[in-house]
Amino acid sequence: MSQPVTVTDLTFRRPGFQLGPVSFRVPAGGRFAIVGPSGSGKSTLLRCLAGLERQHGGSIRIGEQVAADERIHLSPDRRQLGLVFQDGALWPHMTALQHLQFAAPGLPKAEALALLQQAGLAEQADKRPGALSGGQAQRLGLVRAMAPKPAVLLLDEPLRSVDVHQRDALVLLVRKLADASGTTTILVTHDRDEALALADELVVLHEGQLVEQGPALQLLQQPACAFTAAFLQGAACLPTTTAADGSVATPFGMFPRPRGEAADLRLVLLAGDVRAEATAHGQRGPRGRILAAVPGEAGLKLRIALGEQIVPALAATALAIGSEAHLVLQTPPRLLPWQRRPTATATLSPNPTPNPNTPPNLA
Amino acid sequence: MPAAAGKGIADRAGADRAGAGLGRFATRAPLWLALGFLLLFVLAPIALLLLQTLHGPNGFTLDAWRGLAADDNVLVQLRSTLWLGLAATTISLLLGGGHAWLCVGRDLPGAAVLTPLGVAPLVLPPIFVAMGFSDLFPSHGFWPCAILLGVAHAPFVAVLTARGLRAVDGRAYEAALLLRGRARAELFLLRAILPELLAGCLLALMFTVADYGVPEFLTVKGKTWHTYAEGIFGRWTRRATGTTFAEVQSPITAALPFVAGLGCLLWAALRLRAAAPDRGVVQPLPVRPLGAWRWPALLLPLLYLTAGVGMPVVVLVRWVLGSAQKLEPMGLDYARQSFHKAVDQGLPFFTNSVLLALVVAAAVVLLALPLARQSARRWPLLELGAALPAAMPAVLLGIGLLRWFHDGPVLRQVDERFDQSWLFAGAGYAARFLPFAALTLASQVRRQSLAAEEAGRFVARSPVHVALQLHLRPLLPAAWSAFVLAFVLALRELDLAVVLPAANATAVRRLSNAVHFQHEDWSGVIALGLLSTAVLLPLLPSLLAGRSLKSLS
Repeated sequence: MSQPVTVTDLTFRRPGFQLGPVSFRVPAGGRFAIVGPSGSGKSTLLRCLAGLERQHGGSIRIGEQVAADERIHLSPDRRQLGLVFQDGALWPHMTALQHLQFAAPGLPKAEALALLQQAGLAEQADKRPGALSGGQAQRLGLVRAMAPKPAVLLLDEPLRSVDVHQRDALVLLVRKLADASGTTTILVTHDRDEALALADELVVLHEGQLVEQGPALQLLQQPACAFTAAFLQGAACLPTTTAADGSVATPFGMFPRPRGEAADLRLVLLAGDVRAEATAHGQRGPRGRILAAVPGEAGLKLRIALGEQIVPALAATALAIGSEAHLVLQTPPRLLPWQRRPTATATLSPNPTPNPNTPPNLA
Repeated sequence: MPAAAGKGIADRAGADRAGAGLGRFATRAPLWLALGFLLLFVLAPIALLLLQTLHGPNGFTLDAWRGLAADDNVLVQLRSTLWLGLAATTISLLLGGGHAWLCVGRDLPGAAVLTPLGVAPLVLPPIFVAMGFSDLFPSHGFWPCAILLGVAHAPFVAVLTARGLRAVDGRAYEAALLLRGRARAELFLLRAILPELLAGCLLALMFTVADYGVPEFLTVKGKTWHTYAEGIFGRWTRRATGTTFAEVQSPITAALPFVAGLGCLLWAALRLRAAAPDRGVVQPLPVRPLGAWRWPALLLPLLYLTAGVGMPVVVLVRWVLGSAQKLEPMGLDYARQSFHKAVDQGLPFFTNSVLLALVVAAAVVLLALPLARQSARRWPLLELGAALPAAMPAVLLGIGLLRWFHDGPVLRQVDERFDQSWLFAGAGYAARFLPFAALTLASQVRRQSLAAEEAGRFVARSPVHVALQLHLRPLLPAAWSAFVLAFVLALRELDLAVVLPAANATAVRRLSNAVHFQHEDWSGVIALGLLSTAVLLPLLPSLLAGRSLKSLS
């Protein structure tokens, strides 16, 4: 049984921080991620959804039921939610089997064992958390959350404390369990790869504000703001100034201002956008110092210090680390505002574009 | 489908509401009960003492203070107490701190056994240690008093130092060792455990300066000097011999700066403990070799345990065998007589003591559990409130309780003889030992993962079930430790036994009297009986389930 989740104008305040207003809607069965750097408010948003924090304004609906608004605040156990905590948050005095039996009253032992079997924990059924590895603990945290068959599964950076080898197994397990039950999943993470592996739709948060939302593939390929490009693509975002004639001045020269964009534009650069060349007398354009060089298929991948920014670039010929390089913009300039606030509640597509990161056997 | 499911949530929410409300009441009732106890048996008596100090005829006025400053007796008592505290604490530091320093993470022979034994002298009432000392040496005066109080309170330093050493990350020590050499690495270690070490010393100091029974015992024959706690009690007892209200009031006034000073010590000790939280998962310290000092270093722990446990026990055994008798030879025949005398004359007191200690320990744990949870999770100041009785001499707390329940304007109407009852004595003891259980359990609650508790909020079970399974169960080992600690402390309590009428009929109070009057033989049996009972309880888990003794320290 799955439920849609609707968040409307949600706000939360604590000293020195304000979250929101944030609005979004996750369709029933949707796979959704809230991404942003540390301190952006994503965990607070998740805790509000879970009922662990009381929001100061706005409302949360799970299905047709109001879970929280100005008057109502349903406790977490009444929201039909499961939450997978960052570090497992297991109960140290209970065995793996006892975790499931306590979390889901009335769950037959055979069913609990089958769940453990699915998570690859059959042999750990009688073990306590202290005897489990990090990956096993996180898998137990996941099946504990799924055991009561929640309508919505919340995941708080579930891969953070798991080593690289265990990550894929956990991603597969999350998707297998969520797909089998059709559960709506909402993930919170600061890790782009984790978000792309587990979600089809993204919301990007920055300093408590929602800066962009949409299908994961679209945000990855065509971000509408520089912050999203920096966060999801790892792009360099060079600050710009406005010239007297209104055009935009960048380290690579003057460019006409894109239509409709007022201020605070950044020049967004990916590795393929900039070519680096050995410096020669008479060249015009920016110069930077090479910090790192890694051989790639299309030549040498460089990271170059340009003022206080670090710019990715490609070079056809060998350039020494520490030497100066001349930078040439190879593509039309992408000038984007640092952040863009969506104005209306966006309903994410009920049939989202398949995420290319979805494991092939589950796509 | 979504609509139907949404209705499902609504129906369930409605159906659960009534049950959840009842469950919430059931989970909160223990907290309200504990708060009520705290208010009635801790805060109100202390507040009453303060109030009478401020408003009484000989109260908190400049004249009263001038009078105190001009009172040579008070000044001498204050000075004696201060020097006694410093001397005894230095001895506690050397013995307790030295014991832990040499035993934890060292290659000292027998360190695995010696380390948990660091807490052992706490099992013996200081009065027993005093009896042992005074039987072997001429123990009258300042230094014997300082030495035996230092020995009796050294476990506080030993336990907290050991805790500090276990919490230091071995990798940090090894980094210091690689960079700066052995001596600097040891200094780094000392610096790392300083908060725990200081907290232990402050607790030892606090207990020393608040102690009434031991200085009184050592100076009763040919009094030469007095401590402040003795002075307070001495003036209080003059109440019975027809002194004026002003005379009765003055010890309370005089006690005010003393209590304030102790309160500051307690606050500092709590702050220091809080400043040294558990550092999570750490690599234990590597074994630090003692080199050529490996065997000689054994002398310090052995000296500590001999003085704190061995010698008093030997003296008590000698009493049982008839060492104090001039006419009959020592031997097993005399021991049999001692045992019969003990059964005839001392058994009721022994039974009173054990039953009182068991009930008090159970009450203390039950009251401390909700207070500890609340103070660790929501109201940190509650911890200070619960710890207040540790910051005042037990005799003063007893006086406060008597005033509140005997002289109090409201409570006197309820039952005139309540202050004579065992219930009153038990409540007084529980108030006295509440801090130890509350602090132990609060520290344990803080160590538990908040996220794991939050995970329990998603479970659709009754609040009572969740509280029992997720809040109480992980606390059981600590609750057992607190129970044992409260039991042992209640069994050995002398100061309150002197003040609270019903508790006059406890074994320790009777022993103190009996020893004064040379009835050492049967006193030795009772004392050994108390000691065995006190030791048996912490040993039970080890005997029955093979649990490590380390958990108690």
